[in-house]
Amino acid sequence: MKLDPRTKLFLALAANGMIFTAPLVYSLLMVVVASILLLLEGKWKFVCTFFFVYLTAGFFFDQVKNLDIGTSGTIILASLFLMYRIMPACAVLYYVITTTKVNEFLACMSRMHISNKVTIPLIVMIRFFPTVYDESRAIGNAMRMRGIRLFSLRTLKNPVAFLEYRLVPLLVSVTKIGDELSIAAVTRGLSTDTKRTCVAKIGFRWVDFVVIAYCLIVVCAFFNVIPGL
Amino acid sequence: MNISLKNISFSYSDSLDDAILKNLNLEIRSGECVVLAGESGCGKTTISKLINGLIPHYHSGTMDGDVLLGDKNTADMTLAEISRTVGSVFQNPRSQFFNIDTDCELAFGCENLGMDPEEIKQRVANVVQEFHLEHLLGRSIFNLSGGEKQKIACASVSATGPEIFVLDEPSANLDLKTIADLKEIVARWKKAGKTVIVVEHRLYYLRDIADRICYVKDGQIAHEWTPAELEAKGAAYASSLGLRCMNLGMLNGREGVILSEACDVIVSHTCSERQRGRLAKQSIMFDNLTFSYHHKHPILDIDRLELPCGQITALIGHNGAGKSTLAQVLCGLQGSWHQKRAARKHGTYLIMQDVNHQLFTESVLDEVLLGMKPQDENLALEILEGLNLKQYAENHPMALSGGQKQRVAIGSGISSGCDVVVFDEPTSGLDYRQMLAVSATLKKLAASGKTLLVITHDPEFILNSCQSVIRMEHGKIVEQYSLSGHENQLIKTMVEC
Repeated sequence: MKLDPRTKLFLALAANGMIFTAPLVYSLLMVVVASILLLLEGKWKFVCTFFFVYLTAGFFFDQVKNLDIGTSGTIILASLFLMYRIMPACAVLYYVITTTKVNEFLACMSRMHISNKVTIPLIVMIRFFPTVYDESRAIGNAMRMRGIRLFSLRTLKNPVAFLEYRLVPLLVSVTKIGDELSIAAVTRGLSTDTKRTCVAKIGFRWVDFVVIAYCLIVVCAFFNVIPGL
Repeated sequence: MNISLKNISFSYSDSLDDAILKNLNLEIRSGECVVLAGESGCGKTTISKLINGLIPHYHSGTMDGDVLLGDKNTADMTLAEISRTVGSVFQNPRSQFFNIDTDCELAFGCENLGMDPEEIKQRVANVVQEFHLEHLLGRSIFNLSGGEKQKIACASVSATGPEIFVLDEPSANLDLKTIADLKEIVARWKKAGKTVIVVEHRLYYLRDIADRICYVKDGQIAHEWTPAELEAKGAAYASSLGLRCMNLGMLNGREGVILSEACDVIVSHTCSERQRGRLAKQSIMFDNLTFSYHHKHPILDIDRLELPCGQITALIGHNGAGKSTLAQVLCGLQGSWHQKRAARKHGTYLIMQDVNHQLFTESVLDEVLLGMKPQDENLALEILEGLNLKQYAENHPMALSGGQKQRVAIGSGISSGCDVVVFDEPTSGLDYRQMLAVSATLKKLAASGKTLLVITHDPEFILNSCQSVIRMEHGKIVEQYSLSGHENQLIKTMVEC
């Protein structure tokens, strides 16, 4: 089940727009469509984990919210609330990011007549996340070997130093990789003034219209455009 | 297409006073394969950047002179135009991919040039066949080995059909087997009449392909040889210029390791009770080194690993044989809590291939003090002195050179009280002199009573510094032997693969 990247963008926008303001039921409606799409991609593991964590957080939030529990309780409550509210949007974003290839995205942006000046930095950013994750894991390993852990007396005494140990090497290596990535891109002809072609075929099909219509109905219902819904 | 560099001077700063290239002239004929060799920092990479247009279009600096591709001056072309004639492959396979999957990556260059989608598909199909990449299609870039990545990089550059190929240390992160594949690729380009320029420390794999080896020194082409001429001058001549060997088969002619070599000791009195006890025992045992992801077939399956104490042991094997996993399990970074506890008990420490990952603090001294219990500044300074780093004690570790950073990491390992130090490819991408420097540090470390295990693909380094060799295949140890008297066996296994 392949969706056009533009449909995915619309889906992501709709889901994100409803995080904080709408009653929960609307973002739940978005989760439903994202879950179906993820299941169709065979990502049942992610969907199961998601629903488990989401429902647990929701359950505890419901249990705790009316109790008088003091400061620490409020912190827990707030984080539960954040999880509960942000997770639907995260699920949708996860779907969009894991199923969109870089070249499809580039093609879709050029179809929408968005300038390369906007697209290329966006692409670099998307390409960057997994790299940062990779680097960060290696640094975490090095820290463990030196006995610097998040849950330790030393970190408790000086949490800023912990952050510094983690971030300084990360920044250094990420800057270097970013530079090398852009060199690789420019030497292979990626530039702002040539018109790119794309082997990926993108285009709207009936599924796209179904998903877009669904999103539109949810959004309309949210703004009370359709009476009675 | 002919390339000519005329009276080139270049400096990365504002004035030509500290120029890295000084009035350099180089003519490369169409269809020629030229190797640019020389010690690190001699300017050979700068020459490659002049040819692929990164200078003056990407790196800023002061430049004098002209670079002509055919009859066009690169200064008058845009990078996109240059990329139609010059294809570039770089050293670090991790950072030269723009896409996340292999299929898109192969088409990427062609798409950027605005080719017709049908033609792109045809071209991609051609390179896939030519480079035998069928098994790599549709894979995520993050799951490929270094060698596989480098192959994809070469193929995707090849797909755009440039006349000139510029390769900047393409073999630095590869094992000997994938270097053989790289050799085949370069040979294919040359056969197709392409001009190939390779910046490289490792020379042996280009022996049969290169037409010329240009030796760069002090910003100029100091010597030019054919591979046969350089080989005839002998290994001693090459190493005096800081060059790696031309012929792996001839390595054995060099003097091997002198086992009883009198070596300085880094810090003598840090020798712990545990360490002394071990030196008497002569070897350290690690048991049950197994590891697998998600209960699938084991990546690592070793019942017992025995490391001779106070010696340097080389760990060899193909990419993907499980060497890095072994290092991680030995150092307690992967595996069950039993294995992690064993790692703590044995006191193992890993010096990573990218040492930038393991330097955290603001000064070299802090770096050494960080893992020390209790913190003792005098001892830390003594360790730094042993590693020739005392004058840098107050410097920021990230401001040091690669070799110095590596020594700081070693220092932090010593101070955290480790007895077994595991190195992950400490000599990849180093010239002969730098390799000798690393070798000297490692020997010093061994002489101070530490036990060293070094993952490496560098036969010259092994012959220079190691006393025994372990070879791994498919997660198992297939051989372990002492090096003295078995040098031929080592060279044979390394050349064959």
